[in-house]
Amino acid sequence: MSCVANSSLTALRDRIRHIERPARHGVLPFGVAALDGALPGGGLALGAVHEITGAGGDEEDGAAAAGFAAGILARLGSLTVIPGRECSERARNDNPPRATGNGIVLWCLRRPDLYGSGLLAYGLDPARLVLVQASRDDAILWAVEEGLRTGLAAGLAAVVGEIGHLSMVAGRRLQLAAERSGVIALILRRWRSAQEAAAERDRPSAALTRWRVAALSSAEIAGEPGIGRPRPHPNAPPLAGEGMGGGGAGNGWGLGIGRPRWRVALLRVRGGESSSWDVEVADATGHVSLSAELADRPAAPARLGAEPLVRRAG
Amino acid sequence: MPSLSSGAPVEEAPFATIVTSGGRYLLAAVNPAAAAAGLAPGMPLADALSFLPGLATEAAEPAGDAAALNRLAEWCGRYSPWTAPDGIYGVRIEITGCAHLWGGEAALAADLARRLLRQDIAHRIAVAGSLGAAWALARFAAGADQPALPGPGEERAALAALPVEALRLDPSTASGLRRVGLKRIGELTPVPRDALARRFGEQVARRLDQMHGDLPEPLSPLCEAPVRRVRLSFAEPIADPADLARAAERLADDLVARLAREGMGARQLDLAFHRIDGRVEHIRLGTAQPSRDSHHLAGLLAARLETIDPGFGVEDMILAVFATEKLAPEQMALGASGLPLPQAGEGWGGGIAPLLDRLGSRLGLAALSRIEPRESHIPERASIFAPVEETRPAKGTVIPGRRAAANPEPMNTSLWNMDSGSAAARHPGMTGKKAGRNAAANPPRPIRLFAPPEPIEASWLLPDDPPFRFTWRRRAHRVRRADGPERIAEEWWTSGALLARGAIRDYYRVEDVEGRRFWLFRAGLPGSPPPRWFVHGLFA
Repeated sequence: MSCVANSSLTALRDRIRHIERPARHGVLPFGVAALDGALPGGGLALGAVHEITGAGGDEEDGAAAAGFAAGILARLGSLTVIPGRECSERARNDNPPRATGNGIVLWCLRRPDLYGSGLLAYGLDPARLVLVQASRDDAILWAVEEGLRTGLAAGLAAVVGEIGHLSMVAGRRLQLAAERSGVIALILRRWRSAQEAAAERDRPSAALTRWRVAALSSAEIAGEPGIGRPRPHPNAPPLAGEGMGGGGAGNGWGLGIGRPRWRVALLRVRGGESSSWDVEVADATGHVSLSAELADRPAAPARLGAEPLVRRAG
Repeated sequence: MPSLSSGAPVEEAPFATIVTSGGRYLLAAVNPAAAAAGLAPGMPLADALSFLPGLATEAAEPAGDAAALNRLAEWCGRYSPWTAPDGIYGVRIEITGCAHLWGGEAALAADLARRLLRQDIAHRIAVAGSLGAAWALARFAAGADQPALPGPGEERAALAALPVEALRLDPSTASGLRRVGLKRIGELTPVPRDALARRFGEQVARRLDQMHGDLPEPLSPLCEAPVRRVRLSFAEPIADPADLARAAERLADDLVARLAREGMGARQLDLAFHRIDGRVEHIRLGTAQPSRDSHHLAGLLAARLETIDPGFGVEDMILAVFATEKLAPEQMALGASGLPLPQAGEGWGGGIAPLLDRLGSRLGLAALSRIEPRESHIPERASIFAPVEETRPAKGTVIPGRRAAANPEPMNTSLWNMDSGSAAARHPGMTGKKAGRNAAANPPRPIRLFAPPEPIEASWLLPDDPPFRFTWRRRAHRVRRADGPERIAEEWWTSGALLARGAIRDYYRVEDVEGRRFWLFRAGLPGSPPPRWFVHGLFA
């Protein structure tokens, strides 16, 4: 009797797990244990909608969000994707990671302000992009959905949409289309004004995850050879002593401002834990890495800063 | 080649339209009642009123008439793609090779007459071997309900009986011919050509030759002649969107079958809806890549059907192709089935083209672009947005300064490196930190670039310093770290159209207290006039 109950219970659990399975199409790991551990399946689910927002003034410009997205897209192109979902060691061994190839990325936006060289710095080859420009949110949503419907078969690797308002219904439509085709959709929320941002920021959505990427002041580099000390003037900023022409002690660019960092907050994830990390920005291979100060900390994720975290039922 | 002329609508009361010419009122057109009373176009209004004091008049609208005639000529496109308005009251239709579709010239003329009558257009129709002959027969031989259709050997005889005015001469030449007793075209034939030319100029001889087909006379069609076209006529006019969509599907099938035989794919399409009231509506679309996938083409057309107003019904639909390109048979399957993904550097291959067409047909192909590098140091010139049409992998030729979309090399980032901060970006086996250090040779570039740069209010201390505080979009930013300057000047080999003459930009990368990173530049050298500051981009 109990045996029957047990087996039916197990079957039921399996079915529920199957239905809830967030990563039917495989996942894209970040390669950082802390991030991957917080995501069900050990990475960013493919065939799903992920929302990325900026923070502060960047909510309008979406620069950090675009950089974060570019890093994800870059790895989508060049790295391997782990098949399946809750990846036990055995599952990993049974299913060797498969390569996705460099697919095309459909990037739908209001005005074309992406810069090719900048994207390349995060590992995303601009030649992979097809930009779709539309002035209205509904047109962008339509374009994103068309892209998701087209599917991987057409050579599309991902769809990016820069959208201000994403209703629950529209998000659900996108999520269904993504699930069906297996194409990952990144929705960069970009608001026109601080008022709009305040109104939209905390709205629930149908996306599988929601990320907030905030620019964090770059790593401290003062004191390294060739770097000028902060000036004594009360208002003056600390400056790099050497410019391009100066050359100084052989130090060139990138030294006045250290390696830039983000505070990446996973605000909402279905079947996972919300948390936040300070990471160094994606490098030319699209990888983020934990900041040096954080790398040695215990595995417990850092608490979010100012705002209390609200988890909503998906 | 039929030619038809339409008069004013049939009415009981005498009626005429008038134009002013040289301060006088002249009759422009008269209705049959007025013509019966002896009025004719060109007669002064004062004379006409002395004949018919009760003549009703209205100002003529030459522009409106011309537009109506144009519409009529366009409507006649159902018979042949080569139609054009002729003068102010005629339409020419080149039916060579089309008549058999209607069961012969007589049947075509009868069909045309029936349809014109239904639109209340008075007409006279003639079919002849040359433009001049058709013109003459339509105006001087055809009756209101009797088209002039001389048989193969009868044309010359039929023309000989016509008055000399049928030669399309100026009135003075025609009256000159009449003065010397040459009243009929047949009477001109025995007269020596040089004598005619001496007396009346070469016009008479030329018109004669044109009429008899000895001298070619080209007909320039109203719109560009299509490469291929297929037509669907309905016994009953249709207006239901579902019916229209089905018809569009059938036309696409027909067209695709023909294109497939020729190994071509369509690039530009025009679907014309001939409404029962004589108006013609169009759906024009282009494809990002040559296509002969009937499902795809029908889908593109169906997506635009809502823009069509069928009025009281559509009696003909004509799908015409204006541009085709070679399309190998094996390329077709890519769109439909899940064949291998296009590799990097292959452009988007066949698979994504249907998607681009769908997006382009709703948002306009101009809304689709890709980012392309250019050989330039000026940031906004180094990365441009190229329309997808131009970058499609067409010929495999490399345009200088542009990366070939069909380049089989997986990554060709050398052009990007000219401008970007990632010389090592694509170097395999190089870790991020190494790449960062090696990037010293190439300064970093922002991920978002504003075009044009946005002016800011900045405060700075020393001439070469970046600002320590600036206001952008009414928000104040305090600078915590900065890097720079990087000087970018006008390229000496260009004419200097972009930057003002002698303008120099000093770029700084600055980070504000929040951690946001900006790309600022100072336009002009420190000193007077004081330089201006701009935000040009944002780093992630």
